[in-house]
Amino acid sequence: MANYFLIILTFSPLLGVLLLAFIPKSLPGTVKAIGILATLVPLVLTFMLYANFNLVAEGMQLSQQWNWIRIPIGEQAIPITFEVGVDGLSMPLLVLTTVISTMAAVAALSINKRWKEFYILFLIVEMGMLGVFSSTNLFQFFIFFEFTIIPLFFMMGIWGYMDRERAAMKFLLYNGVGSAIMLIVFVTLFILVGTLSMEEIRQLLTDPMSPRNVPNLPGYIPDSIRFGLFLALLIAFAIKIPVVPFHTWMLKAYQEAHPAVIMISSGVLIKIGGYALIRMNAAFFPEWMNQLSTLIAVLGVINILYGAVLALVQDELKQMLAYSSVSHMGIMLLGLAATNLQGFQGAVFQMVSHGLIAALMFYMVSLVHERTGTSNIRELGGLAKSMPMISGVLLTAMMASAGLPGMSGFISEFLSFVGLFGVKPVIAAVGALGLILTAAYLLRAILGTTFGPIQQKHESLSDAQAIEVVPMVVLLSLVILIGVYPAVLSEPLQTTLQNIVPRIGG
Amino acid sequence: MDMIANAWLIPLFPLIAFVLLVAFGRQWKERAAYVGILATAASFVFALLVFFERFVEGATDYINTDFHWLTFAGEKITMGFEVNQLNAMMLVVVTLVSMLVHIYSRGYMRGDERFPVFYQYLALFTFSMLGVVLSPNILQLYIFWELVGVCSFLLVGFYFYKPEARAAAKKAFIVTRIGDVGLFIALALIFWWVGSFDYSEIFNKIAAGAIEEWKLTLLGILIFVGAVGKSGQFPLHTWLPDAMEGPTPVSALIHAATMVAAGVYLVARMYDLYLASPVATEVVAYIGGFTAIFAASIGLTQRDIKRVLAYSTVSQLGYMMLALGAASAAGYVAGTFHLMTHAFFKALLFLAAGSVIHAVHTQDIFEMGGLWKKMRITGPVFLVGCLAIAGIPPFAGFWSKEEILVATLDSGHIDLFVVALIAASFTAFYMFRLFFLTFGGQSRGGSQAHESPGVMTLPMIVLAVLAVIAGFINTPWKPVLGEWLTEDMTAFHGGTHGAGWVTIVAIAVSVAGIALAWMMYGRGKMPAEGTGGVLYRVSFRKYYMDEIYDTVFVKPLRAIGKGLHIFDVWVIDGLVRLIAAFTRGIGGVGARMQNGQIQTYGAIAFIGLVLLIVGLTIAGGYVGQWRTIFL
Repeated sequence: MANYFLIILTFSPLLGVLLLAFIPKSLPGTVKAIGILATLVPLVLTFMLYANFNLVAEGMQLSQQWNWIRIPIGEQAIPITFEVGVDGLSMPLLVLTTVISTMAAVAALSINKRWKEFYILFLIVEMGMLGVFSSTNLFQFFIFFEFTIIPLFFMMGIWGYMDRERAAMKFLLYNGVGSAIMLIVFVTLFILVGTLSMEEIRQLLTDPMSPRNVPNLPGYIPDSIRFGLFLALLIAFAIKIPVVPFHTWMLKAYQEAHPAVIMISSGVLIKIGGYALIRMNAAFFPEWMNQLSTLIAVLGVINILYGAVLALVQDELKQMLAYSSVSHMGIMLLGLAATNLQGFQGAVFQMVSHGLIAALMFYMVSLVHERTGTSNIRELGGLAKSMPMISGVLLTAMMASAGLPGMSGFISEFLSFVGLFGVKPVIAAVGALGLILTAAYLLRAILGTTFGPIQQKHESLSDAQAIEVVPMVVLLSLVILIGVYPAVLSEPLQTTLQNIVPRIGG
Repeated sequence: MDMIANAWLIPLFPLIAFVLLVAFGRQWKERAAYVGILATAASFVFALLVFFERFVEGATDYINTDFHWLTFAGEKITMGFEVNQLNAMMLVVVTLVSMLVHIYSRGYMRGDERFPVFYQYLALFTFSMLGVVLSPNILQLYIFWELVGVCSFLLVGFYFYKPEARAAAKKAFIVTRIGDVGLFIALALIFWWVGSFDYSEIFNKIAAGAIEEWKLTLLGILIFVGAVGKSGQFPLHTWLPDAMEGPTPVSALIHAATMVAAGVYLVARMYDLYLASPVATEVVAYIGGFTAIFAASIGLTQRDIKRVLAYSTVSQLGYMMLALGAASAAGYVAGTFHLMTHAFFKALLFLAAGSVIHAVHTQDIFEMGGLWKKMRITGPVFLVGCLAIAGIPPFAGFWSKEEILVATLDSGHIDLFVVALIAASFTAFYMFRLFFLTFGGQSRGGSQAHESPGVMTLPMIVLAVLAVIAGFINTPWKPVLGEWLTEDMTAFHGGTHGAGWVTIVAIAVSVAGIALAWMMYGRGKMPAEGTGGVLYRVSFRKYYMDEIYDTVFVKPLRAIGKGLHIFDVWVIDGLVRLIAAFTRGIGGVGARMQNGQIQTYGAIAFIGLVLLIVGLTIAGGYVGQWRTIFL
């Protein structure tokens, strides 16, 4: 089975799709139960993957490749392979994907129409995400990437709040542009290098003996083209992360989409941006990653401060969370900009940590919204009285988001900043101001919701129910596990990053 | 039994209590108190055993760093614990005060519907504070440092439904966060400059001269910024008085005796670093000295019993910093010695103040009075606390404060010595103003005051005894504590070698302060305050620090936020909408052009070609020029 493990994992959500196809939609309970149970299959598989992961092996594990299609170019027919593999970088993200998916599937219980379609689309998105992280081929990466965008577009447009269709259009517009740029880069690379396999591209582009790197040889790729490709990829992924000023799609989506959709989007999808920056930008164009690290660091600081200052004046909790995500992704950029082991480690920690925390935060806010009918701070307050459990978890999640030690956010912030302080101390010091602002906006919003006098109409609201407690406990436990014992994440990462980072030569 | 090697058990008990209370607190209701009391009592016993092993049997320093926590770019970061003179003493102080506050709260918090939650937080705090003290490296210290901050935040906001409590909790968190960022940056730099977070490694590198002085100075100042936040030093002191919104036992434990002293502890623990950087120690000395007099001058006019004590805490913490800033073994001893005595008498004062508030249901000292006869235990123990903090012999505060004055004078800071003397007279004055207004004269509140139950008075009595005798552990003629604390330091001379006149002057200024308070407030006199002119107003309004911060930082930040929000909605998002509309428009134009007329197609093709050529000419047809823009 080992040979096919990643294939089985990637397509395992489709089992649920198949089952759902046979269930009449008149049985919402059954449909939802199957939808949730179906996400347990990949969840268990990724846990097996984690348990059996080889900590010291270099390069891809469980890799497999098959010839897929042939593209005729001139006389030749160049084969495109379907290839999968997993390493210390993608494995944690695969686990993150399945965990968040199951939790979001639980959060989707509150869906009150067309639940069958929702869960089918949901499982297809999960397949897309698993495919993205297990692909070691650009073509395949692109296909799976599209499989995350199109179903999500429908999920945003059909389920959610009043202005959801516009939010969905905006999401599609931005991500479509990102995809288009990405596609152009991939095609160009294919023409220049003659392969779409990530590892082959990396070798051809970085090996000093490769004809692509020796001037005056045919097939030599000048720096200017590399720079252009690097920049184009950076923009494509900047939209996904999102980097200011490409962030406005996120605001609308956070406000209008169903919470389950945002849990997936904020928990996993935007991490594809950071993942791809390491996988492609840093791996294919290490010299440009190094040379442009100042630009990335500056973008990171802008993200941190811009997001934080705007989060400080939002009255809508969901908008606050959207800007908070922008700010937290800035920390990830700082880690990447450090181009050293600490920084990259911090960036990956931040992806996982923010994925868990953002999903938890948004889930908690959605519970508040469901009960009170609003997520505006001005109409809330004192909820700790009627909902001690929800308020308590919200407060804890807030602490995690603010980077409290003992929780995952601290490790990721600390590693990212330590990394950057080693190379660009001044930029790092400016970015560290964001830590103060983070505390300020989070406290303002969360204390405004849970502390203070309570509105009379909110006094008799009910606290969390048993099934609602599941995502809270699971997500919080993982956040605390990583915070207290970070080795669970740093050990698998170690070998992989030790291979990637020295190539950048930062 | 080898207690020191098992010192990790000390924080374990409160942690277990915390977990139990989270799990079963709801069912246990007020019985939750006994779990907390039992756990802290166990910790206290263990801490005593450790202390005696270290103190009497003369065990050596113990460090255990076996737990591999995180692989940090190939560097293994470990966690563990250490026992040395300084933290052996701290362990006893923390567990003792914590245990007493746990007992006291059984009475004070009776009837509160969140009683078990209160004990949860207290247990978590005790665990975290012991974690701070036991940490063998500065990263681990930082972790627990933040945790005590969260506990403090939770307890300040314990009455979460009160808007003032919410505001105070928020302020406590954010203001200390500012300091924490300094410490955070110091940690990052330590990693690069030292390569390890272990104290021993850091000090070894310093001793070997492997770190340039400017780096040491920067590190010293950044670490001190963290201490300034935690220990309420100027200019980050503003959160501490507001933190009095929390329940009074919390003020005693966290915001007087233990947590706020963590900043002092940190500077003391990093003393090798400060000894190596004269500039950083000067900063510590001057900030400490300034805070001492600044806060004392605010304390002169406050009307809220807890706020007077809070400013007094800020001022006393300033004294400790001032002592450490002397950059000598004598200063080190004076600072840590004062930390200990202050923990006892300030916890006592707060618990007694809580007992008063419990009895009269107000915190305004102008509405109290005449309590001496009604509270036959609280009154005398409060007086003991006042005498101790005012520095009257033979009470504990006298010995430690005198050491500070001597150490300051020895270090050559005449200016700071004078400042400390003036602040001492202020201290004596405001403490006795407080005492006379609260206990002297006739009752002005009209409420039926009564003495508190035994569960509250017993801890106060214990602390009162300590406030009387604790100073004798380090007298000028037999500085037991000092010699023990500095037995590894070569520079210590033993005892005070300041002139006897310092003692006399110190007593004189204190007595003068008390005498002035007696003249103004004794025998139930009530001078008309509030008309005392500009100086009075400035002191009463706390030098307008809150207003200044609001105008200089908070309001502009919010204005920037609002401005950026408009920018975000109208410019950034507007641009996107414009592009979208433009694209749609092009689409419309394009659709109209598909009219089948060959001339139109030709024209478009031609225009397109021209545009392409012009574009390429301008851009030079070479992307490479882009580089110059970005590099």
